[in-house]
Amino acid sequence: MNLFTKTEGSLGRVATLDIKPTIAGRFRFFNYRISQLISFNSILLVMKLTFILLLVIILNVRAEGYSQKVTYSGVNVPIEKVFSTIKKQTGYGFFFQKELISLAKPVTINAVNEDISDVLVAIFKDQPLEFSIKNKTILVLKRAAIVMTPQSNLVGIENLLEEKDIVVKGQISDAKGETLPGVSIKIKGTTVGATTDVDGRFTISVPDNNSILVLTYIGYQTQEVAVGDRTTLNIKLVAANTALTEVVVTALGISREKKALAYSVTEVKGEEFTQARENNVANAFAGKIAGVNVTGMSSGPGGSSRVIIRGNGSLSGNNQPLYVINGLPMNNTARSQAQGEGATILDRGDGISAINPDDIETINVLKGGPAAALYGSQAANGVILITTKSGKAQKGLGVEFNSNFTVGSPSMYPDLQYVYGQGLDGVKPLTKAQAISSGRLSFGAKMDGQPYVQFDGVMRPNSPVNVKDNWKNFYRPSTNLTNTIAFSGGNSAALTYRVSLSDLEAQAMEPGSSYARQTGNVSLRSVLGKRIIVETTLQYNVEKGKNRPGNGYADNTTSWATNLLANTVDIRNLAPGYDSNFNEVQWQQVPEAQNPYFVINRMGNTDSKNRFMGQASVQYNILDDLSVKVSGMRDIDRFDSMDYMPIGTAKRPRGLFNSGTSFVTKTTAQVLLNYNKTFFNDFQFTAMAGGNIERNVAESTRNFGAEFIVPDFISFSNLALQSATVGLSRFGQNSAFGSADIGYKSLLYFTFTGRQDWFSTLNPGNNSIFYPSFGTSFILSDAIKLPSIISFAKIRASWAQVGGATVSPYQINQLYSFEQGGHIGRPVQGTSSALSNPNLRPLTSTTYEGGVDMQFLNNRLGLDFTYYNRKTTDDILSTPIAVTSGYSSALLNVGELSNKGVEILLTGTPIKSNKFTWDVSYNAAYNKSTIEKLAPGLSTVGGVGVGRPYNTLRGRTYLTNASGVRVYNKLSGYEVQSPEVEYGQGVPPYTMGLANNFRYKSFSLNVLLDGKFGNVVQSGLSRYMYRFGLSKNTLPGRENGLTVTGVDQTGAPFTKTWPVDQMDTYYNNQASISPLTTSVFDGDFIKLRSAVLSYRLPVSKLQSLKIQSADISLVSRNPFILFSHITDFDPESAYTIGNNQGQSSNTIPRTREFGVNLIVRF
Amino acid sequence: MILPKPAGVRISNHDRLISIKNQKNKQMKNLSFKPIYTALILAISLSSCTKDLAELNKNPNAYESVNANFLFTKAQLAAIGLNPSGNRFSNMQMLQQEATYSEVTAPGDKYFAEGSVRANWSAYSGCLNQIQLVVNETKKDPASINKLAAARIWKVYIVHQLTDLYGDIPYSEALNGLDGKYQPKYDLQVDIYKDMFKELEEAAVALDASKPTFGNSDLFYGGNTVKWKKFAYSMMLRLGMRLTKIDAVMAKTWVEKAIAGGPIIDDADLTRAPYADGGLLSNRNPFSEHMRVLDYVDGQNPLNVQGSKISMRFIDHLKGNSTTTKDPRLNVISVLWVKQPAGGYIADTATALQKGMQNAKFNGYPADFETYSEPNPNTVMRYDAPVIVLGAGEVHFLLAEASIRGWFSGNAATSYDNGVKAAMKQWSLYGAGGAISTDKVTTYLKYNPFLTAGTFNQKLEQISTQRWVLGYLDQIENFSNWRRTGYPVLIPTNYPGNITGGRIPRRYIVPESEETLNRENFLAAKARQSGDNTLLSRVWWDKE
Repeated sequence: MNLFTKTEGSLGRVATLDIKPTIAGRFRFFNYRISQLISFNSILLVMKLTFILLLVIILNVRAEGYSQKVTYSGVNVPIEKVFSTIKKQTGYGFFFQKELISLAKPVTINAVNEDISDVLVAIFKDQPLEFSIKNKTILVLKRAAIVMTPQSNLVGIENLLEEKDIVVKGQISDAKGETLPGVSIKIKGTTVGATTDVDGRFTISVPDNNSILVLTYIGYQTQEVAVGDRTTLNIKLVAANTALTEVVVTALGISREKKALAYSVTEVKGEEFTQARENNVANAFAGKIAGVNVTGMSSGPGGSSRVIIRGNGSLSGNNQPLYVINGLPMNNTARSQAQGEGATILDRGDGISAINPDDIETINVLKGGPAAALYGSQAANGVILITTKSGKAQKGLGVEFNSNFTVGSPSMYPDLQYVYGQGLDGVKPLTKAQAISSGRLSFGAKMDGQPYVQFDGVMRPNSPVNVKDNWKNFYRPSTNLTNTIAFSGGNSAALTYRVSLSDLEAQAMEPGSSYARQTGNVSLRSVLGKRIIVETTLQYNVEKGKNRPGNGYADNTTSWATNLLANTVDIRNLAPGYDSNFNEVQWQQVPEAQNPYFVINRMGNTDSKNRFMGQASVQYNILDDLSVKVSGMRDIDRFDSMDYMPIGTAKRPRGLFNSGTSFVTKTTAQVLLNYNKTFFNDFQFTAMAGGNIERNVAESTRNFGAEFIVPDFISFSNLALQSATVGLSRFGQNSAFGSADIGYKSLLYFTFTGRQDWFSTLNPGNNSIFYPSFGTSFILSDAIKLPSIISFAKIRASWAQVGGATVSPYQINQLYSFEQGGHIGRPVQGTSSALSNPNLRPLTSTTYEGGVDMQFLNNRLGLDFTYYNRKTTDDILSTPIAVTSGYSSALLNVGELSNKGVEILLTGTPIKSNKFTWDVSYNAAYNKSTIEKLAPGLSTVGGVGVGRPYNTLRGRTYLTNASGVRVYNKLSGYEVQSPEVEYGQGVPPYTMGLANNFRYKSFSLNVLLDGKFGNVVQSGLSRYMYRFGLSKNTLPGRENGLTVTGVDQTGAPFTKTWPVDQMDTYYNNQASISPLTTSVFDGDFIKLRSAVLSYRLPVSKLQSLKIQSADISLVSRNPFILFSHITDFDPESAYTIGNNQGQSSNTIPRTREFGVNLIVRF
Repeated sequence: MILPKPAGVRISNHDRLISIKNQKNKQMKNLSFKPIYTALILAISLSSCTKDLAELNKNPNAYESVNANFLFTKAQLAAIGLNPSGNRFSNMQMLQQEATYSEVTAPGDKYFAEGSVRANWSAYSGCLNQIQLVVNETKKDPASINKLAAARIWKVYIVHQLTDLYGDIPYSEALNGLDGKYQPKYDLQVDIYKDMFKELEEAAVALDASKPTFGNSDLFYGGNTVKWKKFAYSMMLRLGMRLTKIDAVMAKTWVEKAIAGGPIIDDADLTRAPYADGGLLSNRNPFSEHMRVLDYVDGQNPLNVQGSKISMRFIDHLKGNSTTTKDPRLNVISVLWVKQPAGGYIADTATALQKGMQNAKFNGYPADFETYSEPNPNTVMRYDAPVIVLGAGEVHFLLAEASIRGWFSGNAATSYDNGVKAAMKQWSLYGAGGAISTDKVTTYLKYNPFLTAGTFNQKLEQISTQRWVLGYLDQIENFSNWRRTGYPVLIPTNYPGNITGGRIPRRYIVPESEETLNRENFLAAKARQSGDNTLLSRVWWDKE
């Protein structure tokens, strides 16, 4: 049979699928579609998709015997027999207590191909039992009415029981107070039991008050409760902390048993983010997950976050993970934008900063392996799956209110010199001019407390005003207030809902700077009929930033002054920062280094984000074991920003204005087919196939101008100098994927996946890549008998590939843009100094991973160990090339980058009693990054050569001769620069976290420690502190001059004494000659990341208020730096989320926060 | 599962499908397949968008090919707007026409940081690459002969500045990045000079008034081939004279050839680019913009960003020994911001007020900072001031020098006078404040006549000093000519801790990135040029 017939005369345009007549009619329609829609280039995809789908249909047809129809005839048959027939025919399982069934009467039925529910109604009609169907399980319960209606036929039995037994009633709930339906309750040592109803209530008759109830529930620890003389028992079940029964969300929103997984996945519950909260929820991962390295920016509330999983996978591409919300990828565009001039950066948040922590049910981190592979190219750096909360079927309306308030102050204060005061040449200023000239120089005379003239001409004492004072005098305590209210409910599975509203108001430490976020989230789930499930989640949020603090360099920042003001000047004297003509009052002679009060009082910036994320899905259960789900998501983000300097700004006397708007949409459509089947009782088979398209569009306009015409009218229309640019960037990706999972006896599992991606950002011919993955896990503890100390042991291994195209749109073609406005009526064409590459191919990231999960001592101690080896080949890199080639960078598939590492998670419960529990969890990770190979002709990338770690900080230092003696320039007397040397890595290779959770009665204390080791931090701020004489390292020589000795360039002995009046020149230039030597520090740190002390209020005494539970907590975020080598700044002072980590500069101080959190549930 | 090449597999599975379908057809009827169709159609619709992917990757806002005309304009603008900060903070301060109290940005004032001398190297990925693309493009079309010639001449202009600053540079193998060649060798400066002469000669000869030109896209001459020819010979004259110290024979050959060819001697033929003070930043004179934005921000504010003032050496020279020998350009170039009793400052050009700041004297804000002169915002720093690329003034001074060397038969004094006249007259292009009356020029020449009776060195000094004043806004040429002639005599500063041992730098250093990215070629070039890459190493023609 010829499958593909080329249509005569139209070369390669149409392919026709030739299918035999029996079913051809049914397929004709989409054959037609194929020929209509598909170009020859895309036929491959169609073929693959068709193949997958047909395969599924085959399986489906075979599975035809299982349906929801029941055929059964019988007279007076025991009910169990009917159950087992129904189970065989439908695959529905039954869940019941044996002794309940003993109460049942035999049944007589005659059903031919009838619906299961009709059959069930019939057989339960006259029974003392009732049933409910949950997923594919039929729960058989004692008919509630019986207990309450003495007229019933079975009263006698109940009465009989009651005569000799004690009836115990109660309600079972989880730690949060949510009631649990379907919990199994058994009397220890017997087979007698009961099950909780929809409200978590149960009734059970026990023989005597020595009876012990055993409570079991999937996902929770089994609990034994002595009845004693109580007849009402309200019991809380504690969630299981073992891997045994845990169900986790994996790729594409599919839930799977954790023990079946062949890769490492870590789940964090939403409540961990809500108490000691971070506005940017990504920052809250810090220290929680082995191998996940989080860097929160030092840029005030509403800032961005950099998350790196298992090291940087790409040399120049985006290394951040993919964020997936409810199964669909979201846009995580960072809105950091350099302000008009200088290198100052305003951090305006990123995509993940829009998510309200209160809406999060769970976050799962897929660090690699087959699960991530299913998400395709963007998942090469791992996936963070966010599942938002949804409603639950329950009686009445559930209301949850969360209020959080924190106050922040600087996390640490630098340790600087307060011996010599303002001035230069060792002399304090004698005139106002000299005071301005040395406004940021602390190279003056010894502080003697005597008055001297300052920048404003006023005499003030030459005595220390330390940075701590100036910070306190200038900054204010930051505040953060979040209120969230959520309503959820649903009377039945037909419609469940959750609606939440949240308001966040944050005031930064910098006066006048604030951030606010309002979020509305609606989640609806509806089961229509028996087979259709419709779900939708809508989120709309508004974020507003006002006067976000500038970071990086001097321009537009307040921190330049708060950090670098000469050490005898009280910053408050700089207020209000402007004179009677609204001109900036300069405290030193360089206008770039602005008066901080002018920045907060006269300059400004605003931004607003309007974000809408809507997603909807329809799932149709074609058969009991085959379902199709179609889902779509659109993530729309409109961002407006503006910043300005008014007339009177020293560096731009006529002012400057910037504004921009961008509109970014990400649209995803996905179809998934899922198939589940058990063969021969022992083999479980799950298959999934799907297709995905994604389209991204970013439109932007930017208006830039300078020179206001009328003062204080801040508008683009009020500028003498104007320009505007328009941008449109579009890219997309088409994908087809599939997976198959096979399990044997819950003992051995295999997973296979495959995915093919087509990228718009690469040229046809090179724009597609297929990548497979394979994984297996083996439950050792179930296969062989292990020493009793080991309660569980699992071995897992996986190999996964992910392809990617880390190229921006239009980057592969050399472009010759036109310059705006031309030149006085003439068009001007521009060029790019970046060399593009039309032949670029996708990169491949391959991860081997192996590990063990073990539980010891009856699950009191757990170990999860992972080794991984991740290699990126054909990495796409815009690499610097010699500019003499005509271009400063070339876009190449260069070489290979590897990240190898280990991750360890230890969990334990050292103490566990009824009143006191101590849970501890320690995670540690080591990642070794290596540049393995580079393109021919390239010896280094960013100065770093093969065999060295990515993001190695390199630079010159002072040259020494063979014997280690410093070489001096005979002419200048300064140190001679060495060739470039390695200072260390910017990304810490070692990370760890230690979480302790103590619970005593109604109190709990949660303490999280976070540490990073092995990296270096280069601090621009420290360099300036050195150059300006604030650093303690600049003290030598101030009294009597400094003699340097060594050799000169010829090797001859060299000695020079720098006189006291040249110490400022010496230190200033010494730092300039080798900027890194004076400003690179060992970046190790251990921080107390968060601490939460909670108390659960005894609300049961307040029944009238209908409060289910209430918790009040004292919370703290980043309260203490427990260990750091750095005395001048917080070791975490990053200001950019770019790949160039290890750089810190002039930023507002990082904060430590203390506050309270209240959660009330009604 | 998805297979990479599934065609073969598909057949067998498809057959299987059909046979199963046949067997099960009857039972199937009970099941609804509609959702499956829906799913399939959806999946297929997804894939149908594959062809749109290529469409998505077309940038609607960028052009994908070179337009020689529009790119030529860019190459002109980019070359003359290159590294204004290097020109000022290095050359203008080294040549003592500007001074600053700042230590940070003072490579020229105090011979400290080398930072701003690296940036000219970026010409390779800017104007030089752009002009090369224009050359490549115009070469394809025989009708574009004038365009090609203009582009070759302009390329020489860009290259000569680079080699004069850096010595041996990549030339013959440079600019081949598009062909995947990333590591060009460094050519000897002598070879680069020889090739530049050849290029100028060939291009000048090729120019043909009957063929199409760049027209309006040519900022300098609007496509006028006669003027381009004059510019080519002026460049040849400049380059020929550059070799006086190293190879007088070669120098003489090209100087004579250039004079015979006909360089710019009329003011009307002066090469300049126009700028405008409009609503567009890119239309403003790049030096004016740089000086105003980065330094002399606002006359109403006594604090200059980089602490610069006009140098004492320059002001003192312009002032002359007496009011009669005073150079009238003093009042065009220099102003003093005078504080008004009612508040605010007024720019005053009065001779008596002008005072220059001494180079390398201060490392902090001087108490008398307000008493030093600054560049005139109404002439030097006008946003619509032209950039003069090469004018008749320079050619006349070159002719005067050729004359005293015996390479030109014309009268040296006449050429000198013509040079001074042209040099003063060109200030009229800087607005009304720049106009210098003929009377003033005549008076100046009367009291500062050419030293006809002087020694060769005295004459050379006199001519070169005139070129120093002329080169106030053409600092790369100024630096080269000063290195060649040694005039005017400048007393180097010797600020504590300077990196040249109190000597005026002789060369720009090649950026360290070359050592990393083009290592072997860079090291070879470094080894043959005194083994050094410092401010004190000398280029080939700058023989000690």
